[in-house]
Amino acid sequence: MSRRRGRFGAQVAALRSPVGLSAGVFVLLAIFVVWHGRQAANLAPFSTKNVATALFTGIAIGALSALYATGIVVVYTTTGIFNFAQAAIGAFSAFLYWQLRVGWHWPALPALALVVLVVAPLIGVGLDRLIMRKLEGAPLVIQLLVTVGVMYFILTATGQIWKQDRPRRLNPFYGTKSFDLGVINITYHRTIVLLVAIAVAIALRLLFRSGLGVAMRAVVDNRDLAGLTGTNPDRVSAVAWAIGAMLGAIAGILIAPELELDPANLNAVLVLAFAAAAFGQMRKLSLTLVGALLIGVARQFMRSFLRFGDWTFASDAIAPVVLLFVVVALPQSRLQVGRIATNLRRRERTTRPWEAMIGGSFLLVAFVALSGGWLNFGFWDPRAWNQIAFNRTNVALSLALVGMSLVPLTGWVGQLNFAPMAFAGFGAFLLLKLANGTGTTLVSVWWLPLVGLLCAPLGALVAVTAARLRGLYLALASIAFAQLAALLLFPHPKIGFTSGAVFKPFTVFGLDLTGRRSFMLLLVSVFVIFMIALVTLRRTRYGRRWVALSDSEAASATLGVSVTATKVIVYAVSAAMAGVGGALFATANSTVDGVRTFTLDSSIPIVLLMAIGGMAFPIAALFTMFQLVALAVGERLEQAGVNHYILAALTFLRYFGPGLGAIGMVANQRGAAFAVGLQNARLLPWRRDAKAEFRAEKDSRREPEIGELGIEQPFTPSRVLAIERRLGVVDDLIPTIKQQEEVSVGAVGS
Amino acid sequence: MTLQATDTGVSADTITVVVMADVGSELAPGLFQGAIDGTKAWAKAVNAAGGLACRQVKVLEWDSKLNPTESTNGFLEACSKALAMVGDSSLFIGDVSVINSCPDATGTPTGIADISALAVDATHQCSPNVFATAGVAGTCPFSGTGTRDYKAQTGVFKQYQKIAGTDLHGVYLVPADLPSTIQSSMPTVRALNSVGFGSDAEFGVSGRAEQAVYAEYVAAMQAKGSNIVIDGSNDQTMIKMRSEAVAQGLDESKVLWTCSLACYTKAYADSPVSEGTYVWLSFLPFEERSKNAELDSFLTNVGQAFPPSWAVAAWNSGRALERAVNTIVAADGPNGVTRAKVLKTMSTINDFTSDGWIGTVDFSKKTLSPCFVLLHVENGKYVRKYPVEPGTLDCSPENLTPWSGDAAAAYKG
Repeated sequence: MSRRRGRFGAQVAALRSPVGLSAGVFVLLAIFVVWHGRQAANLAPFSTKNVATALFTGIAIGALSALYATGIVVVYTTTGIFNFAQAAIGAFSAFLYWQLRVGWHWPALPALALVVLVVAPLIGVGLDRLIMRKLEGAPLVIQLLVTVGVMYFILTATGQIWKQDRPRRLNPFYGTKSFDLGVINITYHRTIVLLVAIAVAIALRLLFRSGLGVAMRAVVDNRDLAGLTGTNPDRVSAVAWAIGAMLGAIAGILIAPELELDPANLNAVLVLAFAAAAFGQMRKLSLTLVGALLIGVARQFMRSFLRFGDWTFASDAIAPVVLLFVVVALPQSRLQVGRIATNLRRRERTTRPWEAMIGGSFLLVAFVALSGGWLNFGFWDPRAWNQIAFNRTNVALSLALVGMSLVPLTGWVGQLNFAPMAFAGFGAFLLLKLANGTGTTLVSVWWLPLVGLLCAPLGALVAVTAARLRGLYLALASIAFAQLAALLLFPHPKIGFTSGAVFKPFTVFGLDLTGRRSFMLLLVSVFVIFMIALVTLRRTRYGRRWVALSDSEAASATLGVSVTATKVIVYAVSAAMAGVGGALFATANSTVDGVRTFTLDSSIPIVLLMAIGGMAFPIAALFTMFQLVALAVGERLEQAGVNHYILAALTFLRYFGPGLGAIGMVANQRGAAFAVGLQNARLLPWRRDAKAEFRAEKDSRREPEIGELGIEQPFTPSRVLAIERRLGVVDDLIPTIKQQEEVSVGAVGS
Repeated sequence: MTLQATDTGVSADTITVVVMADVGSELAPGLFQGAIDGTKAWAKAVNAAGGLACRQVKVLEWDSKLNPTESTNGFLEACSKALAMVGDSSLFIGDVSVINSCPDATGTPTGIADISALAVDATHQCSPNVFATAGVAGTCPFSGTGTRDYKAQTGVFKQYQKIAGTDLHGVYLVPADLPSTIQSSMPTVRALNSVGFGSDAEFGVSGRAEQAVYAEYVAAMQAKGSNIVIDGSNDQTMIKMRSEAVAQGLDESKVLWTCSLACYTKAYADSPVSEGTYVWLSFLPFEERSKNAELDSFLTNVGQAFPPSWAVAAWNSGRALERAVNTIVAADGPNGVTRAKVLKTMSTINDFTSDGWIGTVDFSKKTLSPCFVLLHVENGKYVRKYPVEPGTLDCSPENLTPWSGDAAAAYKG
């Protein structure tokens, strides 16, 4: 009896654990989905044929995502880098194969050999040599965003080489030939897909048991140590990237006949692959394969045997649901907290609120003057800033506000969030439901703070769910969240955005903000308010705690900081800001579409542009805005027929700028705001510290190695400062050179 | 007579028009490139024949990218530079206030004529300044939500019944990437239901869905013994559907595969699964260029043996503007061309047929043309099935069936 009680107690205790609770929620959700889905009429019956067909089709599609996921796992297991560009490599390979097969009429085998055995490995090795190797030891945020940049670059290059001006199709291997297997009919192509997935799984299993495989796993654990044992870490990571790219190429070529040949389409399978890789805990190949097959089959069964009425995309939500469940519930054995902490040392001088006020006022005045046509620079007449430019600037400004929501969350606390547009969507939704239903033709601007306040609890809810997640798993959870919001909530005709919903213009203090210029000035005002608020917050005790949290949660906890409560507050603040930004974004657009507007695809560019600008700095949002406007201006000049050399450069920047900018974070991890600030803050008359800092930075480049100091080279204040900078031990309390000199003189005197 | 600049977009030697189309979107790349091709072809033809109102026609392109802000920007571009918009093919339009009231050269809020190739958003359809050559199925004015009166093309379905019997039941593929495409499809589905089409299932299809998604559609067909598939989406959808049907071993010969003009493409005819598909058009097919001078001129000027069907509507939008301008010139001379007069003249045109190439379009009432021709894919070619006489269309008023209801609520996914 007591033993039974003990076992029962243990079961109850297990249920109380996060894993148990998550599993319970998942099972209940699954039961509800099946029960609800089977209520609908006109469902396909559970006949043997239908079940077998759904099973095999699901397995075939699951096998395709398994190929992508396996490539991700191989690279991650060997190099520690989670490759967002995996499906993009597949997309490029599929187009190249199309070009060889359809465009140039090559036979299948030589075309396959060239793409899979030559081009794809070269891409993999090239990525490793040129980019990924430089990411060793970089913060996880940077590692992930650089691979996102690579993804963008490859997709853009693919779209530019094979212009999307006509649909392309790749026929399946052996065309429509098929054979009967019991009650079902199976195509040769899907059979090949399945066999290839199994063959790859077996081959990789054998590889990981070989000497090379052991070396591959050793390299990720300790690259230097592996090197000491005779392994060549560079060669091993190059092999891993080559294998990853080859798997991407195989998957891309095999999935292409299932889709139209379109880079974005071919990249859309990524979340499915992420879910499978997460199922395999990012390292177990067999579990990855099982996860991919399970997801494929579950999705196919939901499509075949369940209906969800207005939840049109419910069956597509299975991948993000699994992804969220897995990252929340499963143990996170590969968290690399140390790496994150090491690389988020704070060295910047924080901006004073009065400086932000001066900057904000200047920004506001500049916008008023420029948009009013009060200035003329000769080479560019701002009066040409027409209504179209106003429209685009307004959209860019509102997206920059959404981007600014990442500053406290990602920039300060280090919580990676790929779902800012999901929070923005909630803001837009709230504005639509609350303010637009009031029957007035204009909406009071005072609805915006309320929208922010109502979005905050949503952020807090997400924080509670994600409280125990860090690094990569947190990033994946945010991807799942973005997908779920975009697939389940926003497209729902009753609880999401109703078709043709129109957002009314704002009014404030009796002023009608219907005009595009007046709305722009509202956006700039909100932008300035957000910026000053963040700058002020950063210098408070709370701001410092938040930043400390990103350095070390454990250390923060020992200092009495409640990690969970702090995260909840930061998420709430971030969600509120994104919500307000989203409401303004929807108003700038005048209408939104529940299916396409607030998606993961629309979130990632904002995260990318903010990272390029410098995620930890509110001013980075201004960079984001300028980048978005510049992209649109580039296009405008293209249409206006500007000199073709300038145009070529602009076109190149327009298409490849974001991707290259993100890749450029390999060299400049802190973003443009930091680099520009470092170079130019000394020009401000009151920034003597910046002058000293600049000089020290300059000196440091000429400085001898640290080991030589005090032996062959004398200590000087500027050299000490440079060393401190290199070691990351200085912060915003940094004394000026003058103070240091005083200390130095005092020391000599004593 | 000295030619003068008479309004925005009309200089002494040039008339400028803007063609706006969704081309550069990720969801459907190159979607309406045909509209740009068609408009340019029309301008080329007009200029070669001496121009419009004694001026050369200049076409400015605008890519609306399936983006409401870029659609509004396209309207702004047209208002600042053009006499009229021609061949507009944008699916995502939220704000028509610009085309309704933007100022002309005198500062009067005249707006601008948008002689569009298609209009799917209700606000766009019901703008007084929008003249859609493809017609409008629903009545105006319309608030955007709730019940609306529609007319839908069902005459072609009656032909299907003659071919395969009256007991036609099967699957309707609804283009579901945008709410506007769903809402423009559902009245047709319900009108078809009222003339005998039994909906075994109605599936929303996405441009991003992989072929395996269609497995459930095929399974539903097998379970219900469906004998017809009506594709309201495009040729790629039909290719995936038929490929999956082959993959699932469905007996294709027992199914009537049907599609609208979106499947009238070379890519579809060339695909290995197109054989036997029925495709209906509202204009004479390209194969009959010898039967219609206007069609022949279109194909000559567009420079493609098989242009996208969107090019047809865009070309005809140009021809409609041409007719309006010629009417103005006849009454007031070439210096009488203004936006206001174009708007006024366009709203009086009720018998536009593009010289017999398309069915009659009544711009004054914004109605749908009842005309159609039914083709059948045989050995990779489109072959006329009905009416059998080449160069003709069936324009019986009974081809249109009324339906009244809430199109958004009618969709069940």
